[in-house]
Amino acid sequence: MAARLAGGTALAMLGLAGLAGAAAAEPLKVAIIEPMSGPDAATGELYVTAARYGLEEINRGGGFNGESIEILLYDNGGTAAGTVDKFKQAVADGVRVIFQGSSSAAAGQLTADVRKHNLRNPDSRLLYINDGGAALDLTGDKCHFYHFRFQAPAPMLVGPLVEAMSEAGELGTKVYSINQNYSWGRDMETAIRERAGNGGYEVVEATLHDVAKIQDFAPYVARIKAAEPDTVLTGNWSNDLLLLMKATGEAGLDVRFGTAFLDQPGNIANAGETALGHYLASTYNLAAGSEAFPEDYKARTGHYPVYLEPRVVIATRAFGKALEAVEGTGEGIDVTAIALALEEVTLETEMGPVTIRKEDHQAVMPIVVSRVERGAAYPVDGTDMGFAPVKTIPGPEAVYPVQESCEMQRPG
Amino acid sequence: MRRHHLLLLVLLALPLVVLPPFLSLGLQNTLVSMLVAALFAVSFNLLMGQGGMLSFGHAAFFGIGAFATLHLMLAVEDGLGVPTPLLPLAGGLAGLALGLVAGYFATMRAGVYFSLVTLALAELLHTLAPQWDGMFGGEAGLSSMRMPWGGLIFGSVLEVYYLSLAWVALCLLLLWAYTRTPFGRLTLALRDNEQRVRFMGYDTHKARLVVFAVSAMFSGVAGGLLAFSNEVANYTTFGMPVSAQVVLHTFIGGSTVFLGPVVGAAVLTLFAFFVSDLTRSWLLYQGVLFVLVMLYAPLGIGGIVELHLRHMRELRWRALAGPYLEATAAGLLVAAGFVFVIESMAVLFSGDYAVLRRDAGGLPPFPFLGTAWQPLSPLTWLVPLLAMAAGGWLANRARHRIAPLWDEARRAHTQGGETA
Amino acid sequence: MLMEFLVVSVLNGAIYGMLLFMVSAGLTLIFGMMGVLNFAHASFYMLGAYIAYTLSSLGHFWLGLLLAPVLVGLLGVVVERFLLRRVHAFGHAHELLLTFGLAFIFEELVKLFYGNFPVDYRMPEELRFTAFTVFGTDYPFYRLFIGGTAIAMFALLYLLLSRTRVGLVVRAAERLPQTAEALGHNVPLVFMGVFGTGAALAGLAGGVAGAFFPTSPNMALELGVIVFVVVVVGGLGSLEGSLLASLLIGLFSSFAVGLDWSLAGALDIVGLGEWARGVGGLMTTTVSSIAGSVPFLLMLVVLLLRPAGLMGERS
Repeated sequence: MAARLAGGTALAMLGLAGLAGAAAAEPLKVAIIEPMSGPDAATGELYVTAARYGLEEINRGGGFNGESIEILLYDNGGTAAGTVDKFKQAVADGVRVIFQGSSSAAAGQLTADVRKHNLRNPDSRLLYINDGGAALDLTGDKCHFYHFRFQAPAPMLVGPLVEAMSEAGELGTKVYSINQNYSWGRDMETAIRERAGNGGYEVVEATLHDVAKIQDFAPYVARIKAAEPDTVLTGNWSNDLLLLMKATGEAGLDVRFGTAFLDQPGNIANAGETALGHYLASTYNLAAGSEAFPEDYKARTGHYPVYLEPRVVIATRAFGKALEAVEGTGEGIDVTAIALALEEVTLETEMGPVTIRKEDHQAVMPIVVSRVERGAAYPVDGTDMGFAPVKTIPGPEAVYPVQESCEMQRPG
Repeated sequence: MRRHHLLLLVLLALPLVVLPPFLSLGLQNTLVSMLVAALFAVSFNLLMGQGGMLSFGHAAFFGIGAFATLHLMLAVEDGLGVPTPLLPLAGGLAGLALGLVAGYFATMRAGVYFSLVTLALAELLHTLAPQWDGMFGGEAGLSSMRMPWGGLIFGSVLEVYYLSLAWVALCLLLLWAYTRTPFGRLTLALRDNEQRVRFMGYDTHKARLVVFAVSAMFSGVAGGLLAFSNEVANYTTFGMPVSAQVVLHTFIGGSTVFLGPVVGAAVLTLFAFFVSDLTRSWLLYQGVLFVLVMLYAPLGIGGIVELHLRHMRELRWRALAGPYLEATAAGLLVAAGFVFVIESMAVLFSGDYAVLRRDAGGLPPFPFLGTAWQPLSPLTWLVPLLAMAAGGWLANRARHRIAPLWDEARRAHTQGGETA
Repeated sequence: MLMEFLVVSVLNGAIYGMLLFMVSAGLTLIFGMMGVLNFAHASFYMLGAYIAYTLSSLGHFWLGLLLAPVLVGLLGVVVERFLLRRVHAFGHAHELLLTFGLAFIFEELVKLFYGNFPVDYRMPEELRFTAFTVFGTDYPFYRLFIGGTAIAMFALLYLLLSRTRVGLVVRAAERLPQTAEALGHNVPLVFMGVFGTGAALAGLAGGVAGAFFPTSPNMALELGVIVFVVVVVGGLGSLEGSLLASLLIGLFSSFAVGLDWSLAGALDIVGLGEWARGVGGLMTTTVSSIAGSVPFLLMLVVLLLRPAGLMGERS
């Protein structure tokens, strides 16, 4: 008798829960797909921390349609197969928006997956916010309506970099381009060559090398030295940047570096004094803004936002503004409406306004060029060195022309 | 005995046909990965278990199968009239072709030299593939879409699942039939005593090459199925992690039993599905599991199951039940203790805890399993240590009770064999 | 100009080669003496670097260099005594697989305790100076230090194996274990010693090289396959061969950087260059951009044409 009673109550409660579920709006599920294990876990960790911070910020502001956004984390192990697996898992879990950024290869796959999914499932489309994949073809050949890129590809960084360096009188006239031999590195090389005319420099030599395989950069330094450049421009990241700079410093070669990833954690500490005076083009610089954002970030995550983290927060904030715009206007979740709203967003950041270019969904972001100096406002890696802002170039000036290869099909 | 095994097999396979429509989408996806991994592992094991050749570069054939299938899929998108369900065939053909070329060289060597040749081949492909845009699509790889065929859209996971199931079942059947042919039996002799095979008048290099090529072909089909299911592939498919994974699957499952690798693939794929998003240390657990199997159960899970099946009649199951239960409890206790230590280490050495530590100016209690633990309190570490000690003691006890029962069964088995 | 290219390339390549030798010497020893292809060898190198880093961050760089080989050597002894010996009966394939599993575990443990990012392991100030200057390029002293350590390592091992009874016993234990046992030598102890020494050498290499190249959880993965290349090309088990192969690979990596050769360039000679450039892909890929693949090609060629390696005895 007691058991039957209990069973009846449980049934009743189930029914109630069902009713309650029908009354409230379903929560918006957002996936963060990044490597949390494997060799790329270090970068993945930062993407996850920043995206979580940003999405939780949206939840603190009331979430979406009165419900908190549900944040789901997926570890793709940094591999292509892992990315596809976790993408499928995210779809199975009812995710509607995906944040990802840690690699161009994964981004290339993911954007294709999202496009195919949306073709097959017009009723449950997905939105992909790419907060890191920098390959040009993501907004070219592979562009589509449900992909948004919050990252500056090569030409968007090289332009401001050479402009600021040359204004500071530190670019010189002879530039050496050394880059990793894959799409990003080749994009960089092309951008460096294309800028040569307007930038008032000549590319004395350009080298492409294996990615993440070289232990000893001394031979490359010998080659750089032989070309006698004033400045070395490189899109190298991780060990490939670190080892290159260390080898240059040790050889006593006096050149200026213009880089895209010098602020990656560990670089400055490992390079030591060698790093002083080198340049970085990035999408954010803490020292150029107020203390509010860094302090809040630190209070919640334990560290000041570094490297890619501020940019990811820009992406989540723009996304949050788009959510606000569609809130309460429609029934349930309509990612097409969110995407349309995101196209209209103007996000005021402390570096300047960020907008979305409708033709290819590239975020038009200001670029900050900075220089490694002692006693900078936000010293990094436990050293006394940090990135001092030199010049901020507004988004519309920094952005590259829309690629002809982008043929975006707009909804409706 | 034969019929017995067949019945068991059908019973095991039945859920694979009936259950999937009732499973969550996530599990359906995992089942597809499991099928692909199973076929890959069995193909790999044809070389290892049958031929005694340990390949450390089987990703090469898996990967080439994936790319070949994608190229065919792209051609179908452009209007080539190949039925969609036949697409993985391209993977098999590419695997066979590469297997013949690579195998010709690799099988010239034996033992570790063979392993090293395969390793070098795969690494070579892995480093060259991203440079070759036309063939492998640069570092982003190739992407295509399954086209509808014969009223089937191939848009849902279930459709992909059943097609994969059919392909994998067919391939496993073919592989099994292969081991039954006179040539398949010769392969076994090749592993056990190559000299004898040579004296029997066979060209051992050719014989080894055939095994290699067959193994590569079916690995290619597995790769093709992966491409069919994922619709994308990039050069990382050639990478060392892929070659390593198939080795783990095969040996945890057991390389001496035909279906052993299937068990290994199933266990590890499900393990990854349930655990990989829970803890960042899951690769560590996988490594520990592998080492434990190597140390204590070198025949793998499949080998243990087979041993029990073979001694089905002689074993006193009722007497074994108690100690087996003890052994299971022991395993759980040790595992729980170990996971406790590792996971609390993961918390203690994490960035989040560093923040807590700085704010508290000492070693504050850390949150784990819903409660707060004092990092310096002996009690905290006594919990896992006691669990592990108790587990160890239980395991030892169980071992002493199980061993005599098994000795008895083995004796009975050999005697039974002699009289029969 | 050519002279400068030659001298600088040789200086750079030789030291990189020396590093490769330091890491692979232990592996050569273990393989040559015990027949075990130790997949966890590069992990020992990584552990050495992390141990040395831990001590150097406490201000004891030299103590770190001393303790790295000792502790890693002890770990090697433990691995041999309690793990490898257990599976010895199942054959070399099983030993190889066991070390393969261990490599997984070591990498994950390092990540667990030290995190995913490279750690800040640097040489002390007193070693941070320029040794000499060639053609206007500074040559850091620490490079010489790496080279010197490698040479000392080679000399010591060579003398130990060829001039003392230790070498004799070890070789007897490997070739004729029963006979050696009958002569009163403790063969298991010898194996334990060899494995421990091999691991210790890797640990020392990690301690020395980790301060020059970054110390990160990926360092084992990065060097893992290339040390196999060295050991194979030199001849499995040959110390002199390892040295030669290390230098060859080091010099090649150094020279390849300066060479813009491609298949298309080679085909220019027979007038097919233009066609090749039209084909693109692999045809126009320069040697310098695929320098990383060449060691594997070299390893393949050696394995197929001369499996005993450059200096190995015919197996």
